[in-house]
Order: sequence, then C-alpha cells, then structure tokens
Amino acid sequence: MSTLDELKEVIINGNAPAAKRLTEAALNQGTRPGDFFAGAIIPAMDEVGRRMRECEFFIPEVLIAARAARASTEILKPLLAGDSSVRPAGTVVCGTIKGDLHDIGKNIVAMMLEGAGFRIVDLGVDVGPEKLVDAVRREGADFVALSALLTTTMVNMKGAIEALIAAGLRQQVKVMVGGAPVTESWAQSIGADGYGKDAPAAVELARRFIAEAARGMSAARRGAA
Amino acid sequence: MRMKLISCEIFYREFCAAIARSVNTIEVEFLTKGLHDVGAPDMLARIQAAVDRVEGSRYHAVLLGYGLCNNGVVGLTAGDTQLVIPRAHDCITLFLGSKERYLDYFQGHPGVFFETTGWLERGESDGELSQLALGKKLGITASFDELTARYGEDNARYLQEELGRLTSHYRQITFIEMGVEPDLSFESRAREKAESRAWKFEKQRGDSGLIQRLVDGPWDESEFLVVPPGRTVAADYNSGIICLSATE
Repeated sequence: MSTLDELKEVIINGNAPAAKRLTEAALNQGTRPGDFFAGAIIPAMDEVGRRMRECEFFIPEVLIAARAARASTEILKPLLAGDSSVRPAGTVVCGTIKGDLHDIGKNIVAMMLEGAGFRIVDLGVDVGPEKLVDAVRREGADFVALSALLTTTMVNMKGAIEALIAAGLRQQVKVMVGGAPVTESWAQSIGADGYGKDAPAAVELARRFIAEAARGMSAARRGAA
Repeated sequence: MRMKLISCEIFYREFCAAIARSVNTIEVEFLTKGLHDVGAPDMLARIQAAVDRVEGSRYHAVLLGYGLCNNGVVGLTAGDTQLVIPRAHDCITLFLGSKERYLDYFQGHPGVFFETTGWLERGESDGELSQLALGKKLGITASFDELTARYGEDNARYLQEELGRLTSHYRQITFIEMGVEPDLSFESRAREKAESRAWKFEKQRGDSGLIQRLVDGPWDESEFLVVPPGRTVAADYNSGIICLSATE
C-alpha cells in the first residue's frame, strides 16, 4: 500500500495523528503537495460521504474524518501558497440563515465541501443579507450555501436571495440551500439553484454546477471559434 | 358540540384548563411530547394514525394541538370529519397566543430556549422516543465515555467540544407563565436551568387565547386552517404557515 493509500485509510478512520505523520512521510518521500488532494484527501472524503449516505457513518465519524483531513491539509496549505497549478474547485460562502443558530449541519457541509477541494468562507450563524452580500463580493464567491433548522428562519432564505439580486451578484453565484425543514420545492419557490438533502448531496450539487459551467464554457468557446 | 382533540402533551395543563372552561364537549388524546425529534415522516405517521382512529361521525370536528412543527403535519389528511389546525410554526405560538407575537419575540431573541410546565414535566428521557430521536440516530447525544470507547480519547475530546456547540449559541431561557401553574416551582426550575448554564433568565406572560379558541371555535381563517374531510395539509411558509394541498 502506498503512503497516499495509507493516508486515505487513516482519514476515513478519523485518525488525525496518523494523517499528520503520513502526510509528513509522503512529503519526505517526494510526493508533491498538490498530489495529496486527488491521491488521498478527496477520495477519502468521498468515501466518508458514501458511508454517511449508506448509514454506516454518522455525525461523529464524519467529524473525526474531517478533522484527520484537516491535519493533512494544514501541513500542505503553506506549501501550496503560490502554486497556481493547485486551485480550489471553487469558493463557497456558507452560513446559517438570519435568526438561526443551529450550525452543526452547516459545519458538516462545510467540512465535506472542504474535503472535496472547495475553499470555504464560513460566516458562522445568524447571517443576515448584508453580511452575505459583502462576503460574496469580497471573496469572489462561486457558491452560496445556506442552512436553516427551523421553519421560522427558513423564510429568511428568500430575503438573502433577493439581497444578492439587488446587489447584482445573483448571476455570479449558485445558491444551495439545505437543513431539516428545507425541501426541493421550497428551494425552487425562492429561486435557489439547488437543494442538498444532506452533506454528500451538497458536494454532489456543487460538483454538478462546476461540470455544467465547464460544459457551458467549452460550448461558448466552440461557438466563438 | 362534541369535538375530539389530538394534541402534543406539551399542552397538557393548558388544554385541560381550556377544556374545563369550554362551551363544547371535548374528548382528548394526548400524544407523547417530542415527536418533532423523530423526523417529519415518523411524526406525520403517528399523528395520522391518531386522526384515523377517530370515529368521525361522533364529532363535529377533530382539533389538532400541533403547529407546523418542522413539517411534521405536512401531508396530514382529514378523515370523514373536518380537521382544525392552528396556524403556528410550533408550540410557542400557542403559548404566546399568536403567531405575530411569537415572530416578534423570536426575531428579537434568536438564542432562546422556552420553558413551560409541559416542557419541564412532560416527555421521557429514556423511553421509546428517545431511542428513535434523530439526535440518537445521528450519534450526537453520546456521552464522553461512549465516545471514548468508540473513537478513542483524543477524538472523544474533540467530538465533545464539537457536539457541545449544538447548544452553544443559546443564551437565554424564557419561562412562559400560562396561569396554570400551581405555584412558583416550575418557574424556579427554569430559573435554575438558566443559572446552571450561565444564561439569562426571563419570564413572559403567556396567552392561552389561541388554545381556548381552538377548543371553543369558531375558527377564524387568520388563526386556524380548517381542513375539509379527505383534504390534506401542506406547508405555506408565508404568513398563513399552513394551507390545503392542491387537489389532484
């Protein structure tokens, strides 16, 4: 088993000290920092997502796996600074919607997206429209991910999307919504781009948007040629 | 008129008091507190089963002591008697007397846990529901020892910190006094709970008007959804909160 394969295994099993040790070992063996993502971290977190879906993993397993993945990425991040060949899959601004203080679901989504190679800007809880608009503009976000646990706060998602429209930022971002009371039809009714029923679904959705955008760009290039 | 009330036991004292004063004859079935914790599909199944048990011809209406409760009543279908449901996000609307007052209070106090007699004395911590509760299913209610046994001490420490964040944004307990309390003991328990967590404590005077109007009728359209026989409840999420599902 290669060191990267071993790293993948210890991330899935939530062993943060081993993840740190194996990352250092692989670097010493000459593995390039950029190769850790496709070679270990992303497939590990994909497997965690799959097990979560299959009800083999629950929140504690996901949390410790994400912690192990972070033990690895924290070593890699400084080495990757300035390396333009390794770019995040996209920037996600996330938070719980205004009035809602329940953030564990949002945290799991953020961890899974980070594990899938996205850059996360976590605005925390009780995120109002102004704060959201500022962050999307400042960070050049590609995605907005909003969660709500209560039907009383879920309604504020509509206001957040309206604020993005008013600020002229709606076309720039794909808006994903989720949380216990949120449904596909609710997402559609407020003009969100997608609904994630759980954290793996949010990752799938973000990847689908990226694939669609890539297809759109190549079609546009063909059109121009 | 004779009515059947199916209610969450969170309102036990309040509905008993309202029924005692009601112009109608009310028969009541209380369901276990905490159905919202088992997830919307299971909650719906339990309430639907209770509605289906009612011998409709005996009653002028079936009354529901539930709100939208995280979509737990979405999909509920009336039997051969009309079904009356308060337009409420959850029980706090019924304790405060109106959805407008709840919304107003909620917006000004996002980090509040509410306590009432029902919240303090009803429900079971180790019964069947606690095993079915989502928190248990998701693995977020395990003790430090259980976490250590399963994930090792290092991870257990981390998990305890992360899972503890579930309530870390709460800052206040608000005790809603409904006028059904025998003495100050419930208020004292709520106050002690706040003190033990170093949270702010506040007391609000409740309003049992909405509860009384549910058992008395008539049911104003702005406060109640009347579901005709055979029709189904849907979520509205706007000011009406719930509505009738479109007919096929």
